[in-house]
Amino acid sequence: MMRRLALTVPLIASLWVSGCSEPGSVLTVYSPHGRDQLELFKEAFERANPGAEVQWVDMGSQEVLDRIRSERANPQADVWYGGTEELFGRAAAEGLLEPYRPRWADSVLPEARGPNDLYFGVYLTPAVITFNSDAVAREEAPQDWDDVLDSRWEGSVLVRDPMPSGTMRMIFQMIMYRGLEATGDTAAGYEWLRRLDAQTKEYVLNPAILYQKLARQEGLLTLWNLPDVLRVQAQGFPLDYIVPTSGTPVSVDAIAVVNGAESRELAEAFIEFVGSVEGQLLAVRSAYRNPTRTDLPIDSLPDWLIRVNQELRPMELDWDLLEARGREWMRYWDANIRGGG
Amino acid sequence: MSAWSGDAGRRLGPRDRLLMIAVFAILFWAVVYPNLVVLLGSLRGEEGFTLRHYAAFLGTASELRALWSSFWISALTVLLSALIGVPLALLFARYEFPGRRLLGALAAMPVLLPPLVGVIAILFLYGESGIATRLVQDILGLESPPWRLRGSGAILAVHAYSMYVYFYLFTLAGLARFDPAVFEAAASLGAGRFRTFARVTVPLLTPTLAGAALLTFMTSMASFSAPYVLGGGFRVMTTQIFNSKLQGETGMAMVETVMLAAVSLLVLWPLARWEGAREYVSPGKGTAPLRVPVKSRWAAIGVPAVAGAGVLLLVLPHLTLLLVSLVPDGSWTVQTLPPRYSLENYAQLFAEARTFRPILNSLFMAGGATIIAVVVAIVVGRLVVSWRVPGRRLLEGMLALPWALPGTVLAIALATTFSVNQPWVGRFVMVGTASILVMAYTLRVLPLTGRAVLAGFRQLDPSLEEAAASLGAGRWRTLRRITVPGLLPAIAAGASLAFVTGLGEFVASIVLYTHRTRPISIEILSQLRDFDLGAAAAYGVLLMVLVAGAFGLGQRWIQGQRVETG
Repeated sequence: MMRRLALTVPLIASLWVSGCSEPGSVLTVYSPHGRDQLELFKEAFERANPGAEVQWVDMGSQEVLDRIRSERANPQADVWYGGTEELFGRAAAEGLLEPYRPRWADSVLPEARGPNDLYFGVYLTPAVITFNSDAVAREEAPQDWDDVLDSRWEGSVLVRDPMPSGTMRMIFQMIMYRGLEATGDTAAGYEWLRRLDAQTKEYVLNPAILYQKLARQEGLLTLWNLPDVLRVQAQGFPLDYIVPTSGTPVSVDAIAVVNGAESRELAEAFIEFVGSVEGQLLAVRSAYRNPTRTDLPIDSLPDWLIRVNQELRPMELDWDLLEARGREWMRYWDANIRGGG
Repeated sequence: MSAWSGDAGRRLGPRDRLLMIAVFAILFWAVVYPNLVVLLGSLRGEEGFTLRHYAAFLGTASELRALWSSFWISALTVLLSALIGVPLALLFARYEFPGRRLLGALAAMPVLLPPLVGVIAILFLYGESGIATRLVQDILGLESPPWRLRGSGAILAVHAYSMYVYFYLFTLAGLARFDPAVFEAAASLGAGRFRTFARVTVPLLTPTLAGAALLTFMTSMASFSAPYVLGGGFRVMTTQIFNSKLQGETGMAMVETVMLAAVSLLVLWPLARWEGAREYVSPGKGTAPLRVPVKSRWAAIGVPAVAGAGVLLLVLPHLTLLLVSLVPDGSWTVQTLPPRYSLENYAQLFAEARTFRPILNSLFMAGGATIIAVVVAIVVGRLVVSWRVPGRRLLEGMLALPWALPGTVLAIALATTFSVNQPWVGRFVMVGTASILVMAYTLRVLPLTGRAVLAGFRQLDPSLEEAAASLGAGRWRTLRRITVPGLLPAIAAGASLAFVTGLGEFVASIVLYTHRTRPISIEILSQLRDFDLGAAAAYGVLLMVLVAGAFGLGQRWIQGQRVETG
């Protein structure tokens, strides 16, 4: 027994060690974009850069920030791919990002260029109202944010746990900002969120369980981001969306080099690739992303994108304010509003 | 104690002293020091020393409620687990009926479900659109689901399910040590069944029950998966810590950590004293306890039927996991049972190279942690039991301390301490490496190996070592040929439990993992995120099989050793 054990342990150990490739040829990407899109970009990037290996770790964008922060002394990620400006702004302020100006920097929308070249937006991600299309007819579904508070939806709203989710934070902060603009006080926004909490049947752990619960009609409505809804719809799930009539927040999904990245050159190459015409079209066609590049030929864009862009009414938000006060709002919500306080 | 150990106390040479000091230093550095760093961190703000974070904690009603919830949930978990585990153990230990051995083994099945996987399986079974829920709803013709798996009730149910095993196994082990003569004596003195139970069985079982209560309470305080997945708006301390850290509110996270650890220690201390104070020595010679065959006809059918039904209830989550792993993604929506089955999840799992990495990681990290924890336990056992060195209570305390510190606390303490490079105060950059995970696992399993090995040392007959020494065997030779073989059953018991715990570890891993070091539980979580419920379930089944294999191997080893030495 002991002898067999003595043979097995070094064997497993050597297998394990040989699995660790040397730095420089391995690119580690932290991203909330999900396996399908990440595998797609991994394959395309590795094809274009022979010898490079992409390792991705999938987590909520707020979790990416937390992780990069705790790994500051020994950074494990090279690229942070995906997340709202609120989060990238905070990371930039804490010195967690390294400036890099990609060649495509001038081809994207002006609002997609982060300060001091610390991050650049690659996708526009709008928030939408999402419903189960088996159980709710399109015309009956809420057409605007306030309709979600209607008494007929009481107990049938599902909400993804907002604390780790960039999308949910953006929606909540939009509500707070809207209230602040209208009344000059946070009370209006909190009141809206309190009413949403009363409508909410459950806060759901992660997006996967959210889709599952919606598909199984445990709830009928949620607030979520468009690309994910389109992707899940394409997988055959009975989900559909409404673009809110009064306008919707559109986050600029950004990308950045992590400060202290081990594979800096690969990180830059990856960012170049994601923002290139090829990379943007790949994301548009296979992952339902809305590109920030303004120079893509319109005939190369799919129909759904053209339709979405016609329907979409982006809501103006003050991202600096959200970055400064967003955390405080979320903390208040968690302590005093969630689950009736 | 025998004269031998007293002599050993005096024989402590300079090299032994060095060993003793080294062990003290290592345990202090690994177990106590990171927690001191957290304690100091909770008192520090940008302006220097501050009580600001504590004031904020005490001034927030939801924080205090979360702390209180953690406490009462844990207390109720202990009660519920005891109510399930103890009668079950009595049933299997005292009565002989057909199928007893098989059912008795199956009753420990919840051990095979690692925390996160277990919660997910229960969600599929009893969740709002779960199999059992829909079945009951269909049968009764209800409009809405008969129950909702949410909030404190759900957490309690999951806790009771996964933790009654401690009471079950501890009580079985305790009863096995009983001398049946004690019961015969009670009966011959005219005590009735109830009186015997109240005056003989319960007092004799007290240390065992205290030990199980301790383990259950600590595990429950530290429980993260159940409140994380099922809690909804219900707050406990572990989820508060996770959220505060996520928000980047380090000071608050540390205060929450300190408060949770403080409450745990406050409970650990009296319970540990209670456990230690009531050490009864059974005068018997280890005769096998007598099992009463069930006599009446009703009981002959009833007892196995009740036991069988109970056990079926216990393995339902395992079966659910297996079922879900056979369902192609997206095909199961509003039906009670899945409409289609296939092996595609397994095919996908085995086709992808990245599947095996987490498995190797977990095997290696859990294996490494187990080996280190066993070695540390043997050295401490030698110092504490055989040599009776000064400060032995402290040593034993440090070995058990990680128990009082929930996994989240431990992980945050390690991540905080080992994210800066200050070698002169013993702090090195370890975040982002596998070593910090091995360290975390080691600390988490140290109480398990420590408890088992120390108990083994206490049962070891010192005269064997004396004989070896008098026959001219050196110290090393005695250790290798006498002590360690004598300890093997205890080592195997501790090691298999430790290895199994390491394989399914989730709470500390989620704070410390990186891409290169991600363990199985994290991979399952990421598959869940990816909407690959089938693949996650298939992975869970794989993990379950691994855990069962490790556990079975450990059990066989224990029994094999018993046969050889006995």
